[in-house]
Amino acid sequence: MTVVEVLFLLLGLVAAGSALLVVTTRTMVHAALWLVVTLGAVAGIFLLLAAEFVAWVQILIYVGAVVVLLLFALMLTKAPTGPQPDLDARRALPAVAVAGLVLAVLGTTVVAGFHGVELDLDGAVVGSAQTTGATIFQQWVLPFEVLSVLLLAALVGAIVLSRGTGRRGGE
Amino acid sequence: MPLWWPLLLSSLLFAIGVYGVLVRRNAVLVLMGVELMLNAVNLNLVAFDAYFRDVLHGGQTFALFVIVIAAAEIGLGLAIVLLVFRTHGQIDVDTMRELADREEPAVAER
Amino acid sequence: MIWVVLLVVLVPFTSAGLSLLVGHGGEVAERGIAVGAGALGLALAGVVAFPHLGDATPLAHVFAATTAAGPPIELAFYVDPLSAVLLLLAHTVAFLVQVYSLGYMHGDPRYPSYAALVSLFTGAMTLVVVADDLWVLLVGWELMGACSYFLISHHWELPEARAGAVKAFLMTRTADLGLLFAILVLGLRFDSYRISTVMAAIADGGFGRDDLWLPAVLLTAAVVGKSAQFPLHTWLPDAMPGPTPISALIHAATMVAAGVFLVARTYPLFLSAPAALNLLALVAAVTMLLAAFYALFTSDLKRVLAWSTVSQLAYMFGALAVGAWSAGVLHLLAHGAFKALLFLAAGAVVHAVGSTSMTAMGGLRDKLPDTFLTMSIGFGALAGVVPLVGFFTKDAVIGATWDAALHGRLVWPWLAWLLFASAVVTAVLTVAYSLRAWLMVFLGSPAGADLAEGEVPEIAEAPPSMKVPLYLLALPTALGGLVVVYPEAVLGSGEYHLLHPELGLVMTVLVALTAAVVVRAWRRSGGRDPWRPRVLPQPQVDRVYDIGLVRPVMRLARLARAGDRDVIDAYADGAAAGAWGLGRVLRLAQNGNVQGYLMVVVVGACALAVVAGVVA
Repeated sequence: MTVVEVLFLLLGLVAAGSALLVVTTRTMVHAALWLVVTLGAVAGIFLLLAAEFVAWVQILIYVGAVVVLLLFALMLTKAPTGPQPDLDARRALPAVAVAGLVLAVLGTTVVAGFHGVELDLDGAVVGSAQTTGATIFQQWVLPFEVLSVLLLAALVGAIVLSRGTGRRGGE
Repeated sequence: MPLWWPLLLSSLLFAIGVYGVLVRRNAVLVLMGVELMLNAVNLNLVAFDAYFRDVLHGGQTFALFVIVIAAAEIGLGLAIVLLVFRTHGQIDVDTMRELADREEPAVAER
Repeated sequence: MIWVVLLVVLVPFTSAGLSLLVGHGGEVAERGIAVGAGALGLALAGVVAFPHLGDATPLAHVFAATTAAGPPIELAFYVDPLSAVLLLLAHTVAFLVQVYSLGYMHGDPRYPSYAALVSLFTGAMTLVVVADDLWVLLVGWELMGACSYFLISHHWELPEARAGAVKAFLMTRTADLGLLFAILVLGLRFDSYRISTVMAAIADGGFGRDDLWLPAVLLTAAVVGKSAQFPLHTWLPDAMPGPTPISALIHAATMVAAGVFLVARTYPLFLSAPAALNLLALVAAVTMLLAAFYALFTSDLKRVLAWSTVSQLAYMFGALAVGAWSAGVLHLLAHGAFKALLFLAAGAVVHAVGSTSMTAMGGLRDKLPDTFLTMSIGFGALAGVVPLVGFFTKDAVIGATWDAALHGRLVWPWLAWLLFASAVVTAVLTVAYSLRAWLMVFLGSPAGADLAEGEVPEIAEAPPSMKVPLYLLALPTALGGLVVVYPEAVLGSGEYHLLHPELGLVMTVLVALTAAVVVRAWRRSGGRDPWRPRVLPQPQVDRVYDIGLVRPVMRLARLARAGDRDVIDAYADGAAAGAWGLGRVLRLAQNGNVQGYLMVVVVGACALAVVAGVVA
């Protein structure tokens, strides 16, 4: 077993375990913090899989921006800081069943489809900032620009939605 | 490293995300489940990128795009959550039943 | 000339359409159209009819014919002396009825539709009379049924008017099926629907005595219904709630006369079918006696006249049954004249008194002098008093039955004897009921005599528009006997045996004796009803229909309704209930919980993925 494999198993365990905690913890702020751990572990796996730039973006945007945003949202909606007994709806069993079904379908597919296929990471092109940047601005420049328009639309939408009052008067 | 390891991890994360979306009552926590699912997809993309040794880095580039879209999504989602909080006073998904069909139909039984 | 025939047919129809179109546009306009068209129709009918009386060659013309497979249906007209006299009769009575209605229907809000229907009725009868194609004849025949329905129910706010109209319509329609099937049978047998062609083929011979009994019997059924003979006689008296001029029209010139006309028109067919003649003789013998008895005991003036019509029509059928074609046709003409007169006069009486019950009348001779004079002539003709037309034609009919009883070959001898006896007894009864009605209406003490002064209702003579038609009809009633003396002038030359002087003498003695008995009974009763009116078991026939037809039909209708509701509707209701229940179940899923929806979506996506994986 190579070092990469050991590291992957460890990081995978951390990611899966913290993800479970994200969806099961009784304290909302803890859920956000466990999400940080999950995202960090996934970023580590990205590093193992030669996606260097994606890993850093994951850390920057997810951990740096999204989780902070989520924490702000929790604060703005006056979420209680202590543990909440009724944080989950009373349909845990069907939800578990559905999630298990999803896992079964997806897991069966990937295991059956790629059983015995080795992932050779030696000598792989590492997705550094330079290579990734070159690829994006050469081959993927059109989707990139479209994405910028989408971001603009999301920005406008978020502003309109959160401005709230005014024309939506009476609420 | 067998390819199915990261793929199975991705599936696991996705299923956990589904569970979170289905079971959480707080809208912000539901959004966290969505983030987990998106991350599972990213893991999948990156794993296949490494496997195919893609010269164009399609997997990694799409992972980046998904991250961007996720950021936009979380921004809009949180704006909606704040709006709901402002109008309803709370963000409990279970109590938002405006979509329910609970009106008795106008046509009476003969 | 043939275009004038077409005009005679079209003028009444056009007038009917105009009357409805103008509607309540103005009294002068609608009255002008009705009477003007009546006068124009009468003039045209005269133009058509007079050249064809006597020995003139019949006029036949085909305007159009269908070209489809099978024998062609032709718009064909045929005018012979029979058509000519009936054309004259129908248009004369129709015109006089229109004039009379000016006074009688004055102020009636439904006058426009009334006048239109009278015109339509006339047009339909004209069509029947001049038609040379059986289908064209059927059109007019059915139109008359529909018109009679509408006219009888003119006062549709009265339940008995509605019931009478429905009864008349249903009974005549049922009988009309006979005509329809007879047309089909004749068309199949002779490969033509033209009456003149078919009758010429029959007259040429080549058909056995039992060859044509089916169409003849079917036609008999049709005319029995149309002319209200036993056992379909009950509709005519029940049609009395209609306006009185309509009764004159139906009883004298159109509806019931059409039955006699049809037999006279298709007479060669009947002569070749002894079964139909025997049936006709039996029906006539039973009907004339039965109807006369009913007329004897009813106390309603209009019903007396209605029953007398049934009885007199039976005379005509009796004459036709024993082969006396001319006697039957002449009695039809005479009856048309005096029955129209009687009904119009009765209308004048009813108009003045306000009731049709004879017990409410009496002593009207001085108050209604014109009506008294003309109606006396009418009753005299009905009873067969010597110089009037009824005496001659009835004498001719009874003489024909006497001849048939002695040496006739057309019907069974015992039936001819029965017919003769029935005719004589009916003649006596006719005198009795005519005299009774005349005495009760015009003589004796007024109905209001025992009331105090001032409470007696004011009774005034009818307006001139009603009086003039009475006198115009009284003229042929009084002098029509000349036609019987010189029948060649009307019906063409031939062998006639219409006058039976010794029989006429016997009948006159019988009439005088009966009159004496009735007057005696009347005197004894103190100037009131000579005998107690009683309800004869007339409803019995209706009860037979009720038990045999009406109730089973009603039961069937109930069954059909129950089947519709409990079986057919059950499917529709079941579909509705099923959709309803399914909706209730599906509504459970629409609980508004987004996460619940999402759960279903995820499961569905997984299922699709599995299906895709398995199939692919």
